[in-house]
Amino acid sequence: MSEFFKRFDIVLLLISISIVTVGLTAIYSATYTGDSHSAYFSRQFLFAGISLVILLVVTYLPPKTLIKFSYYLYGLSILLLILVLFFGKKISGQKSWFSVGGFGIQPSEFAKLTTIMALASFLSNDENENKLNNLKNFAIAVLIIALPVFLIMRQPDMGTALVFMSFIIPVFFWAGLSPYWIIAIVSPVIIALASFFGEIYFFIAVGLLGIGLFFLKRNYILTSVLILINIGVGFGTEYAYNKLAPYQQKRIMAVFDPTTDPLGSGYNVIQSKVAIGSGGFWGKGFLQGTQTQLKFIPEQWTDFIFCMIGEEFGFLGALIIILLYCILIFKLINNAYLCKNRFLGICCIGFASIFLFHLFINIGMTIGIMPVIGIPLPLVSYGISSLLSFMIMIGIAMNAYRNRNIYI
Amino acid sequence: MGLLTKKLILFGVCGLIAILLIVRLVQLQLLNQEEYGRESQKNAVKTITITPARGLMFDRNNQIVVDNRPTYTVTITPNEFDTTKYAEVSLLLGIPEDKLREELAKIKGTNRFNPQRIKRDVDFKTIAYIAENEKHLNGVDYQVESLRLYSDKFRASHIFGYVKEISEKQLANQIGDYYKQGDLIGVKGLEKTYEDYLRGEKGYEFVNVDVKGREIGSVNDGRDDIKPVNGSDIYLSIDAQLQEYAESLMNNKRGAVIAMDPKTGEILCMVSKPDFDLNVFSGPTDPKILSALMTDKDKPLFNRVTMTNYPPGSTWKMMMGLAGLASGDITTTSLISCPGSFVYGGRSFGDHGAYGSINITRALEVSANTFFYKLALQMGLDNYHKYSAMFGFGKKTGIDISDELPGRLPSVEYYNKVYGVGKWTQGFIVSLGIGQGELGVTPVQMVAYTSAIAMDGLYTTPHFVRKIVNSNTKEEIYPSFKTTKIDFPQKWYDAIKKGMYLVVNGNGTAKGIKNSLYTLAGKTGTAQTQGNNHSWFVGYAPYEDPKIAICVLGENAGWGAQFAAPLAAAVMVRYLSGNSIDSFDEEGVKIFQTVD
Repeated sequence: MSEFFKRFDIVLLLISISIVTVGLTAIYSATYTGDSHSAYFSRQFLFAGISLVILLVVTYLPPKTLIKFSYYLYGLSILLLILVLFFGKKISGQKSWFSVGGFGIQPSEFAKLTTIMALASFLSNDENENKLNNLKNFAIAVLIIALPVFLIMRQPDMGTALVFMSFIIPVFFWAGLSPYWIIAIVSPVIIALASFFGEIYFFIAVGLLGIGLFFLKRNYILTSVLILINIGVGFGTEYAYNKLAPYQQKRIMAVFDPTTDPLGSGYNVIQSKVAIGSGGFWGKGFLQGTQTQLKFIPEQWTDFIFCMIGEEFGFLGALIIILLYCILIFKLINNAYLCKNRFLGICCIGFASIFLFHLFINIGMTIGIMPVIGIPLPLVSYGISSLLSFMIMIGIAMNAYRNRNIYI
Repeated sequence: MGLLTKKLILFGVCGLIAILLIVRLVQLQLLNQEEYGRESQKNAVKTITITPARGLMFDRNNQIVVDNRPTYTVTITPNEFDTTKYAEVSLLLGIPEDKLREELAKIKGTNRFNPQRIKRDVDFKTIAYIAENEKHLNGVDYQVESLRLYSDKFRASHIFGYVKEISEKQLANQIGDYYKQGDLIGVKGLEKTYEDYLRGEKGYEFVNVDVKGREIGSVNDGRDDIKPVNGSDIYLSIDAQLQEYAESLMNNKRGAVIAMDPKTGEILCMVSKPDFDLNVFSGPTDPKILSALMTDKDKPLFNRVTMTNYPPGSTWKMMMGLAGLASGDITTTSLISCPGSFVYGGRSFGDHGAYGSINITRALEVSANTFFYKLALQMGLDNYHKYSAMFGFGKKTGIDISDELPGRLPSVEYYNKVYGVGKWTQGFIVSLGIGQGELGVTPVQMVAYTSAIAMDGLYTTPHFVRKIVNSNTKEEIYPSFKTTKIDFPQKWYDAIKKGMYLVVNGNGTAKGIKNSLYTLAGKTGTAQTQGNNHSWFVGYAPYEDPKIAICVLGENAGWGAQFAAPLAAAVMVRYLSGNSIDSFDEEGVKIFQTVD
């Protein structure tokens, strides 16, 4: 028996099942109409079962098969992302769904998984640790990510497109890109944000960047060019913001202060803060949350599901779920660390970044510290595509644990 | 960098983010719990809006002319509505599913917790189904609301106007926040002008709801509730029976009739034909019928009483006489020779006959064109404009229904603008003298001007509303309308009125309507147009003590005496006889002659 658990990541599986169970409970409550459970609950329950079976199958697949299939799966995802632009169902202005036999299929959710697999496959096909520091290889890696991002932005679904940006740095970092270049990639984003807050922040950010870059690599010409680019980005941000229509500026401002747009994009944030805040330490109890049960938040079984947890299960419930996610992400990173197979290791890091990014943005927006970006809470939000794709990620991570001592 | 370092860095990032989230949760759930708890309590109170019945409309004899009828309105409360039930509700109400989704998607913010009107005037069978399936159709509900009920004897469509669901633009532009999506608002006629009185004030009931959204009793025992106030009733000056009669005379015609009490400005009847059935706008409007109304070539939605821009023809000649007297170009006894035609600037202007040298009274009686050609030239455009403006031409009368246009009163500036400075000649004014050319008037301007002559210069604003009665306090409001005195010597008015008397009772163009019951005075007019001429008549009666002034316009109906004069006479006789004499048949003129 102990031999079995040496190769079976029971902790990761139990944590995942716990999170899915919390999700099912939350969906039950969020869609409760007074007498019985809703169609949403039974559908999610059914797919939780199906995805658990798929997870176990993935766990026991030979790593070679996974590597072999990763490019095909990536190609299939790209094809689906193209098809959805033509044949997808338009829901609130976005074409991101196929309707198949009453179920909604969202190709972009699967693309998260397959893009990481393809990227991992590319980065691990030789054992060159320095691969990414070669410009050509770097460009190919970026292209693998850029292709689905471009297609998803056409839907347009900016939230999901952002998710793809989230794993670039951790994966490249893990795969051996030098810290100098990591900073070079990250800095324009930070500079743009800083310039948005004001000139002082902008100058501080540029100063720190300069010091950091000189410290890491004393190539003055290259570093000067990078700093100049960043200064340009800073001014460009302000210029672009002033060029925006007033309603667009208003939407951006509502991120920082939702009360400026209480009936528009700020509405959900105000209501979800009330829901979570009013939950207190112990919560109002299952099915007893007034905000949740009176359906103050539209579609709260999807992106705003954390409100229900915060309101009905209180601080204690919220803390437990965040800790569960932390353990899950730690496990994913640790499996990457333990695993000698480079492909599986990079996959685990990519999945960990996706989980962390979803967690941060999704919970962050419900408690008003992140902009409202429509991405699900992993394994919890209603949505069969996202549930299935996150469960397969867990399956691959369990596969990594299982085969941690095998190189290929 | 070793893998262990990398792992620890990533652990650190994850840990930092988790701590950030937890700190924020501590702030929200532990430190500010009370504040958010209060907020969520407030959310558990549901506000039910009660829309009051609109005020009624009565005629001058206190007969109800616009009533209300109770109807069922189906509502959906978006946050309670089970989105899997779209198909069923769509079938039930006969609204396409897409449209239903779209309607509900439009509702934002806190409005999602209040019932939103989805369909008005729903039949009882549908309501019975909703009531039986209350549990299964969560969030679908109905309320009793009143819609307009009109008389089936007459239409008066352009007078009453109608209400419509408030548009997004109106909602955005409203002062204050009284109106909400789905509310009705007066958009035409009296419904629009008196909207603030007719609508009343909405009431609000506050009820507590439990976690399932069920109402569990009123807040504070209903002490905070605000009772609705029914709309104020408005009492109109129109005579329903006269309105019905005038409409029947204009049936299948195109044109306008407006009659008023010259002493007060109260409008007795107003007809613009073709018109439309107001019931089309009460309740759900069928878009097909609506678009048919909008594209109808006879323009039934166009109010011919207040919006036309036709030349008045010879009905204008009293105005010219008064302007000539006022400018000093003639006196009541001045003679102008009328040889039968008039040549100016190489162009010949026609006349009906040769009358020799005649004064203003005789010129009106026989409608001598030459007299007015010469008079117009002599007084010049400035005088022409100045005195015509005194009688309300070239501007809106201020009648209390919307959609009035000012017509067109040519002036020096006008010609300079249209033709250019120095590019027009005094010859232009010649046709203006007989009410042709660029001059454009509306029937409501014409009746007000005729009244002012009948009343020796007392110009009253034509209007419909006599009083507004608050249905709660019974307090009465008497709206006031502008009255002006055009202070000309009495003998000027006498000379003009004598001319109008002779048009009917002398050897004039309207002698066909002379009768022994009532002394009528008036003037016919024929406006030249591209097609068949427009037929005009303005007049008043009785000549000795005017009780009614009238203007009739028949579009493309021939000359004045042919259509407008007998019709106007019939309406005046009808009114003066207390709605008892019907003196009109297809050859209505004859009846008056036999009486003689």
